[in-house]
Amino acid sequence: MADKNPFKTIPAKIYEIVDESPLIRTIKVKPEINFPFQTGQFAEVSVPNIGEGPFTPSSPQSFGFNLEFTIMKTGFVTEHIHKTKVGDIIGLRGPFGSRYPIDEWKGKDVLIMGGGVGMAPTRSLFLSMVDNIDDYNSITFLIAARTPADMIYKDQIQEWSKIQKVKILKAVDKVPEGEKWDGDVCLVTKLLEKVKIKPKDNPAVTCGPPIMMKFGTLELLKYGYAEENIYLSMEKKMYCGHGQCRHCVMGKYYACKDGAVFTYDKIKNEEKIWE
Amino acid sequence: MLVKVKEFETFLHNCVKDNPKEIGQVIAACQVPVNPDSRFFIDIKEGKQLCLNSYRTVEPTRLLYYFTREQVEPFNRSDKKRIIVGVKACDLSALKLLDKALLEDDFQDPSYKYWRENTILISSDCQEFSSVCHCTIFDGKPWAEDGFDVNLSKVNDSYNIITGSSKGDFFIELLKRFVNISEQSSINQEKVKIKRQDYYNKLKEKNEKYTIESYSDLRVQDIKNWNKESKKCIGCGACTNICGICYCLILNDESTDDQFIKVRSTDSCQLNGYARVAGGDTPRPQMYDRFRNRYLCKFDYVQSKFNTYGCTGCGRCIEACPAEIDIREVVKNVKVVV
Ligand code: SF4
Ligand code: SF4
Repeated sequence: MADKNPFKTIPAKIYEIVDESPLIRTIKVKPEINFPFQTGQFAEVSVPNIGEGPFTPSSPQSFGFNLEFTIMKTGFVTEHIHKTKVGDIIGLRGPFGSRYPIDEWKGKDVLIMGGGVGMAPTRSLFLSMVDNIDDYNSITFLIAARTPADMIYKDQIQEWSKIQKVKILKAVDKVPEGEKWDGDVCLVTKLLEKVKIKPKDNPAVTCGPPIMMKFGTLELLKYGYAEENIYLSMEKKMYCGHGQCRHCVMGKYYACKDGAVFTYDKIKNEEKIWE
Repeated sequence: MLVKVKEFETFLHNCVKDNPKEIGQVIAACQVPVNPDSRFFIDIKEGKQLCLNSYRTVEPTRLLYYFTREQVEPFNRSDKKRIIVGVKACDLSALKLLDKALLEDDFQDPSYKYWRENTILISSDCQEFSSVCHCTIFDGKPWAEDGFDVNLSKVNDSYNIITGSSKGDFFIELLKRFVNISEQSSINQEKVKIKRQDYYNKLKEKNEKYTIESYSDLRVQDIKNWNKESKKCIGCGACTNICGICYCLILNDESTDDQFIKVRSTDSCQLNGYARVAGGDTPRPQMYDRFRNRYLCKFDYVQSKFNTYGCTGCGRCIEACPAEIDIREVVKNVKVVV
């Protein structure tokens, strides 16, 4: 936290809005002062006089003055975020929480599994690494969605596939009649069979709905990934963002402060991590 | 130092009037006629009857530092000091834990910090107990050894006064301007010691049957026991709201067109909506689960995080619970094999 006062709220102006799917939109904002964050960290985003919620920027970590948030409409605050217009002011507190230690991953083969709302943090992670792609041996990005219409960042994914050292596979659970799809139809964990897995000492990230992270983690363990190299994002009620309100407590950890990014070995014995 | 009780209390009553530049408010533990068994923190400008040497107040001292509802951003206040008198040892331990959680972490709650810095905190020995007091279970004592600016121990018609900080010294300087202070004798000191030990023994004996060996295994106790113990709980949240320690919060956005405004208010883990995330999922949909969470929080999570229990034994939750649930009994009962 740049400021010791965790309630300090930085105004940020929305300069562009992109509708990614019927329920998901990306808002691009310019904070009044620089808001540097490291990939994996999140901000508490407030809609004036409505409320706030924790969101990980979907933009790469170098962009302190231009932040992007990809947000799914799921509740009260997000519904109001979806009502905002270009030119509106939102508030930012933070950044809070742990980060993906991408500087420690230099020279490694990085595996990322992202699905649904988990696409926002993994996009930030992916792009932050792509900015220094020479540092990494390879990046494998497995992307999942329920249906083709739910798949976000479609055009960008096309572009990302062209980057050297990057391999992207995508899958949906099902293809409803009349929708076009050029990827696989299976669970994201099935995609693991299609890529060359190098579990030894390499990091694997899974971020998405709890059920996906649970089975993703179990699968990764089967493939031989070490518990301390599997990174998960805990979706808890991260209300205040800085370990004060206690809503997101997981045993001795706060999801907001010690997470939201955790390695599996740290939290495997805590209660209800998948709920 | 020694000062006559009467003179000291008169000083407190006139304190704001006599020291308008330095002191903005005096809050003291008082007794009110309609409720003779309870003590309350009251602003004493209206000449209330002080009750400093009894047990703790109904409301926790925490609420004078961490209000039920308070604007925290933006935050600005005057720098006059306030005085709080009649704080008990259990509440001092609570403040110690709150300091760890709200000041000594990598963030600081600006308003809690302000109140901590701008309050002269005067504690006083307990010379009476309520039936629910059980600080001795957690190695507490019915008197304070540190954490105060000034401490009072009543002996006969005088207070034995010691200071514990520079704010305390400042208070004594003010006091000296209006009241005669004499040196205390060693006989007097001995009397304080004997009195304290006497009260301690009584309280300890009263709680003997609740003393348990270990709290660290609460997490592994049979869920059936928790289910049974929580049967009467209606999930009202009174226990956490009145707690000397519980500091869970809700942050509301009450911004205007020109300014972001954040208001913090208390929350309770006993309420169903507490841990619910957007979309409606909650990790603890059942009452017994939330009930159990409160105990695990106090005796396991807080303990492993701050190295001290999240309970001081003040007994307020026992008093407040409409279902007459006693935290001491619950801890004992869940550990019984069924
Ligand atoms: S005060 Fe009693 S009934 Fe209310 S939530 Fe606490 S334990 Fe349950
Ligand atoms: S749990 Fe009950 S006895 Fe313990 S500090 Fe809180 S109110 Fe006091």
